[in-house]
Amino acid sequence: MMTGSFSDMDNVRDILKTAVERMSDAGAEFADARSQSVRVMGASSVNGNLRQLVEKGTGGVCLRAWSGGRWGYGTVTSFDKDSIMAAADMAVRNASGDGRSGFTLEPVTVRADVRADVRIHPDSVDPSEKVAAVLDIDKSQSIDDRIINSMGSYSEEIKDNALVNSVGSDIRWEEVRTLCRAMSVAADGGRIERYYDGPDSTLGFEVVKDLDIEATGRSTAVEAINTLSAERPPSGHLTVISDPMVSGLLAHEAMGHASEGDEITKARSFLTGAIGRKVASEVITMYDNGTVPGAHGSVPFDDEGTPSSCTKIIDEGVYTGYMHSLETASQLGFKPTGNGRAENFGKRVWVRMTNTYFGPGEWDRDELIADTKDGILCDKMVNGMEDPVGGCFEAKCLRGFLIKNGEVVKTLQSFTLTGKSVDILCSADALTKEVVLDGGMCGKGIEDWVRVSSGGPYMRAKMIVGGGQ
Amino acid sequence: MIHNAVDRAMQRASSYDQSEAYASKTTVHTIYIDNSRISNIETKVDTGMMFRMSKDGKLGKASVSLNGEGSVDNCLRMADTVLGFSPVDDEFKGYAQPGQARIGMPDVWDDRVDSITPDDLREIAKTLIGECRVNIPRAQIRLSSTESHVMNGNGVDAVHRSTLVYGHFTSMTVIDHPGEGMETYHGTHLNLDPVEIAHALSDKAEAAAVCREFKGTEGMTMILPPSELGDMITSSVGSAIDGENVKYGRSMWKDLMDAEVASKEFNLIEDPTLSAPLSCVFDDEGTPTERRCVVEGGVLRSFLRDTFCGDSTGNGMRRSSVEPQGSYERTPTIKPLNLVVGHGRYSRDQIVEQTDNGILVEKFAWPEADELTGRFGLNVRCGYIIRKGEIVGTVNNALLMGNMLDAVRNIEMIGNDSKQMGVINVPTMSFSGMELVGN
Repeated sequence: MMTGSFSDMDNVRDILKTAVERMSDAGAEFADARSQSVRVMGASSVNGNLRQLVEKGTGGVCLRAWSGGRWGYGTVTSFDKDSIMAAADMAVRNASGDGRSGFTLEPVTVRADVRADVRIHPDSVDPSEKVAAVLDIDKSQSIDDRIINSMGSYSEEIKDNALVNSVGSDIRWEEVRTLCRAMSVAADGGRIERYYDGPDSTLGFEVVKDLDIEATGRSTAVEAINTLSAERPPSGHLTVISDPMVSGLLAHEAMGHASEGDEITKARSFLTGAIGRKVASEVITMYDNGTVPGAHGSVPFDDEGTPSSCTKIIDEGVYTGYMHSLETASQLGFKPTGNGRAENFGKRVWVRMTNTYFGPGEWDRDELIADTKDGILCDKMVNGMEDPVGGCFEAKCLRGFLIKNGEVVKTLQSFTLTGKSVDILCSADALTKEVVLDGGMCGKGIEDWVRVSSGGPYMRAKMIVGGGQ
Repeated sequence: MIHNAVDRAMQRASSYDQSEAYASKTTVHTIYIDNSRISNIETKVDTGMMFRMSKDGKLGKASVSLNGEGSVDNCLRMADTVLGFSPVDDEFKGYAQPGQARIGMPDVWDDRVDSITPDDLREIAKTLIGECRVNIPRAQIRLSSTESHVMNGNGVDAVHRSTLVYGHFTSMTVIDHPGEGMETYHGTHLNLDPVEIAHALSDKAEAAAVCREFKGTEGMTMILPPSELGDMITSSVGSAIDGENVKYGRSMWKDLMDAEVASKEFNLIEDPTLSAPLSCVFDDEGTPTERRCVVEGGVLRSFLRDTFCGDSTGNGMRRSSVEPQGSYERTPTIKPLNLVVGHGRYSRDQIVEQTDNGILVEKFAWPEADELTGRFGLNVRCGYIIRKGEIVGTVNNALLMGNMLDAVRNIEMIGNDSKQMGVINVPTMSFSGMELVGN
């Protein structure tokens, strides 16, 4: 069993190089081979009892052959040389077809060996300490009989990647992600509400060490109870102050997906041909940046071996650029931006975001609320959905607050935001100074989940609001 | 290979009070279409196992890819490590008990799927592309065959074999105001008709291209076709009947057994005897499955349970109705095998004709209700406004709001056009009392 140690990877890399040579010899215009081993430890609890505790060790190899403008993939959960060579043959066969491609991929050649930059590697921490963190953050939520479910969770993921390709790249890199969460479900009469909190990162166990577990669990429970008295939000075209989490959802869903290069090559995005066009008010600047230290979506290299980078997508309201994989960069005449990502070795490489966020403004949060006569302040997101074709988006908020005459006057239950992305961003008139990123998973369409973060400051804009009873 | 792995794991498990080994092997063939051309073809082989055990009240669990000679031993070693630092679990009721099959083997295997070649996939894709009047910006067709084996120390020894066909298709008109369509296909057999799908994609994209923004706010009837209703029912009703949610007190239906929870026209049967993606004789823990009435004439008759909840109904599942890979990585959770909503006698056109003021939703951004409360506020990507029985306009960019657990109490009409949508088979239905808000 390949457990992912770097010494094991040495043997696999030699096989990967042979497989790449084999695909090239068989006619592939470009070929790469990527092995990945993933180790996960996860623990979760409900009502003070451990519900799940598991270790996982998975791994495999993905072979890609590029020929005639098509990719052929061969994937195996095996590090055996014969299996990998058979997959290489299958990749070439899958890429076969009439003609050659009209453009050439232009990967950079990279040779690197990068270990994750973490202060406390999860491997160095006794598992019992991780279990204790889960149970502590769970038990600290038991503050009131109305908390019917207190839940804690911890997970660590350690990915060891190796990639070689037909232009001489030879890369090994490690990714470490750690998260710790509290979630409370509160009930009273016929009402049930929930609240959650907790950090995520590409850091190590310091995420837990630096967390005030007791305070996080307790405040999560308090907010779940407070939400029991929340009222249905008003509906209509309203002034909304998005919190950093919902601002990030707007950045990700409203503009991020539509800025993925493959949506541009297909003219499926409303931002096709938009470079240089005004798409937001001048207070808006937006980035996709895979190099943010410690952020959940950061990666040293994408899954094609391109170094991660920072792409400025909107600059003071003007649209400035797209994210690219090797394929879309070549198609559109740009350089790859390090956004060719896959969920794992068994999944397709697409153009995907990393850390996507709006830049800061000049306001303080309290100042922004005081300046708002009638509006809604968002508090945490549930999920969102992109609409690159229609130029709209959908963002579900866990809860919010009603603002009247510059003051928060009541708590609101879950609601949804929607509208045309450009109209909303053009209506944005104020952003706060601090940018906060929040980690999560991003699917493209319906699947292919990759780890990302999104965020921004508090942002005031006009959008459509509505929530069910 | 998976059978050897399971046997080997169980042979080495004698020192534990209870133990269970599950292994699966899946072969997946996927073809991707981008911009009306074939862009990728993938072939994947995914093999792995999970081992679970208990000793002195402690639980251990680990999963691995079966990618070398030492994989099984490594999995047991990892699980034993987990057991070593696990606290005593007071809630553990034991793994599945052996039982006789209660249903016959459902028709879930198609040799044509198992023997598919890249050339076969290319032909299906070419037909789809050729028949579609509009662009296909993104589509995928995924065919897979899976064999799984679960064995435990209580005597459970169950093998399951099935094929899965899944398709997800988008379409787009190429004019100044683009319209987008979407179709999905869920099945176990290669009955996917690329011509039919191509025509549906064309129709939907062309309809969406003439959408206008909805203005204002008004109450109305909501008509949902199977494509949108399936996930709305599974996310709300599916959560309400989930035994774990009942156990932890977070199901809105937890105290409503044998009480009215829906309109009397609403019937819901769990039916793994039919050809459906997760239909099986034994669930992924090895418990026999059965045909079960869940809601009868609007009255709640059953919850779904796994071994964790106790008194399992055969709903402890690792496999997914959509994603064939990695079932061995997933701990069993309660999942419907095949929920069937009883169909009515009305065509979709008849439902529209008998609706005074409503919206027929062609496409939500993502159909989903809140799993605890049933609330929803969903972006309508394409919907038909109905006045006095006639479609008078096509709208988008609006929020349709309501509560799905309330909606099933306010059913107006049930259609006769049932369709398989993952783990649910559902017809078009209409519900009163929704609210639509626009710009």
